Amino acid sequence: MSGLSELSELSELSELSESDGSLLVVVQRYGDVSGGAEAHARQLVDRLAPHLRVEVATTTAADYWTWENVFPAGDAVVGGVPVHRFPVARGRARDFRKRERAAFAPARTLADERAFVDAQGPHSPELLEFIHSRRDDYDTFLFFTYIYEPTVYGVPLTPGRAVLVPTAHDEPAISLSVYRALFHAPRAIAFNTEEERAMVWRRFRNERVPSEVMGVGVELPDGISADRFRHRHGLEGPLFLYVGRIVESKGAGELFDFWARWRDERRAGNGSPQPQATLVVAGHAEMPIPKRDDVRYLGRISDEEKFDAYAACEALVIPSPLESLSLVTLEAWAMGKPIVCPARSRILAGMTHRAGGGLAYHSYAEFAEILGLLLERPEVRDSLGARGRDFVARTYTWPRIVEAYRDLFAEVRARDGK
Amino acid sequence: MRILVVVQRYGAEVVGGAEAHARTLAHRLARRHEVEVATTNALDYWTWAEHFPPGESADDGILVRRFRVRSGRRKDYKAIESRVLLGVHTLVDEYAWLRAQGPHVPDLLEFLHRDGQRYHAIIFYTYIYEPTVLGLPILPERALLVATAHDEAPLRLAPYRALFQLPRAIAFLTPEERDLVHREFRNEHIPSDVVGAPLDPAPRGDGARFRAAHGIEGPIVLYLGQVSEAKGCAELLSLWTARERDATLVLLGHVRMPIPSTPSVRALDAVSDETKWDGLAAADVLVQPSRFESLGLVLLEGWQQGTPALVQAGNPVTAGQVRRSGGGLTYEDAGSFDAGLERLLAEGGARGERARDWVRDEYAPERFDRRIEELVSIAAVSR
Repeated sequence: MSGLSELSELSELSELSESDGSLLVVVQRYGDVSGGAEAHARQLVDRLAPHLRVEVATTTAADYWTWENVFPAGDAVVGGVPVHRFPVARGRARDFRKRERAAFAPARTLADERAFVDAQGPHSPELLEFIHSRRDDYDTFLFFTYIYEPTVYGVPLTPGRAVLVPTAHDEPAISLSVYRALFHAPRAIAFNTEEERAMVWRRFRNERVPSEVMGVGVELPDGISADRFRHRHGLEGPLFLYVGRIVESKGAGELFDFWARWRDERRAGNGSPQPQATLVVAGHAEMPIPKRDDVRYLGRISDEEKFDAYAACEALVIPSPLESLSLVTLEAWAMGKPIVCPARSRILAGMTHRAGGGLAYHSYAEFAEILGLLLERPEVRDSLGARGRDFVARTYTWPRIVEAYRDLFAEVRARDGK
Repeated sequence: MRILVVVQRYGAEVVGGAEAHARTLAHRLARRHEVEVATTNALDYWTWAEHFPPGESADDGILVRRFRVRSGRRKDYKAIESRVLLGVHTLVDEYAWLRAQGPHVPDLLEFLHRDGQRYHAIIFYTYIYEPTVLGLPILPERALLVATAHDEAPLRLAPYRALFQLPRAIAFLTPEERDLVHREFRNEHIPSDVVGAPLDPAPRGDGARFRAAHGIEGPIVLYLGQVSEAKGCAELLSLWTARERDATLVLLGHVRMPIPSTPSVRALDAVSDETKWDGLAAADVLVQPSRFESLGLVLLEGWQQGTPALVQAGNPVTAGQVRRSGGGLTYEDAGSFDAGLERLLAEGGARGERARDWVRDEYAPERFDRRIEELVSIAAVSR
């Protein structure tokens, strides 16, 4: 593609590479795709691009389940950044669930674990070959997400120049032997949160690998309107918001149970003065959503609408037991809204505690108590939200994050003796 | 502490520098710790043919677990190797090379996966073989690597790139090995030390007995070790026979190549330990033509007998030992070989005596133990 060669010439001329060197970002999917880590990668690339020569190596897949080849293989330009797309030779295996069960069983073998990584997809030998053959052409390689093949097998091909963004969750997969070396091999690790770093250190004993807590930046769009959201969906009264994939593994099932129980108890409770509250659910549904007049499912919503929804809600509920850094948490905080999450979601609950931007529940009783409190005591709700907003402003702004990454890359290059 | 030593071959009858080092280390550590060994059931490193019975056995109080070699060196290994080292090839070829090299021992890897966490520390020997390159990444958080790395082409292959970033600590045999690994992998941040090898005091050899037994008069230039092209013996013999010699070149070791029939060369094939010490004592100069020595044990043994050495300048390890000990000279061509030989023969014993003291201090077993203990304690998981 001519755009690519023009671009690389341009970036050479502009002497960007003189100051900050070159960077290849490796991520399993890239471009107009869903997914937290992928969105994170895209946002970071767009913000790093003015400072150094950035390229992306990824697959042709658009979704993380089938990994079906959707984008054309070859070179493209996305948002002004050269992107190298490689075909997926094998997507998710038909017997993936079986492989997963075998790999997570206590009696698993090393062979079971390798079969799991393979069955999970995306298997893209050409992407690995690219990393291998171009390992001297980039000063730094930034790998996103510990769990997929491009990272597991890619980092060991260029460990001395690799920076890993693990987006690690405390989930069964992370205890597999096949991932152990990955956390020791890279030149540096960029964590999203303090809690993620603590979890990884506890598990891998890899404190020696230089690391930084980077996070992702949050920027609010212009013209956010709570009224527009309420009006469009005909919503009245207090709203609690859930945004994300609607699946059992994200805790959606428990949320629906707790919600129904809480509302039903309230209604039965002899004419409570509280107005009817509604649970607003937005995202891709992969499980049934209860049909109740106090649960509204909106399907997937646009970014703009998401911010309108934050503005309209009392609080964001994140029931997932295994969240690492959740972008929606930061966005809700930036909007001054508190978070409600389970205490067993250690990373998220730890962050919420540190920020003072929400409340965590150990049980249904506490869940009910927290929601009641937020409804009855708006000043508590607002002060939690305000603390969340301050936390984001202190920690998660793009200029600070971009600077931190540039410093880290400079360190990697210094260590490489260049 | 409970310590596991992982090495590609193990046992009293196994010939090989790294393997001997591993066994010595296991026994020394076993005086203070609970030591086990995980290895293959191969005896030789060329075919990796199954030799020992698989399963558990004891070596002087050390529990040895032998795992079956599922595939040894492939018949077409040489062809695969030259493509990978010299030709255009892919990443997949590099991993195919590793498998073709042997020994492929999946049961050993499964053992590490299943039981590795029972050990506080695991010591992996020799970077190049599967048990280390695929085994260490399973337990990097408690690994001590004894790489025995040489400056050779495979060191730059993909399978090894991450290996040197993973262990908690690295034990080098020589300062040259440390410099090579640091230069190649930029992994100076990993705690390491040059441990060398523990050398027990050598018995005094009887030079006169050796001369009498083999009927050799006049100056003796000794080569000790396997007599093969790989060890640089072809080059040595061609340098030696290029001109008339007043001295006799004595070759002590298994002969694996043709030897020119001339009175100034005597090949004595493999010999007993006693004869070895006698030969080293009898020699006026020890010559070491190999370019790929990782420890240069023979030089050290020569110095224990006070014999100066003439070594290949192209081998950084032996050249470095000679420089540090002051116990010899280096050569790089026929001119410097002849000149070095002449000088060493003319000088007499002072150089060798100095090197004797150096070996005694540098390779003292207590010193080795101290350094190994320190590295093991860095590697060990205490929980």
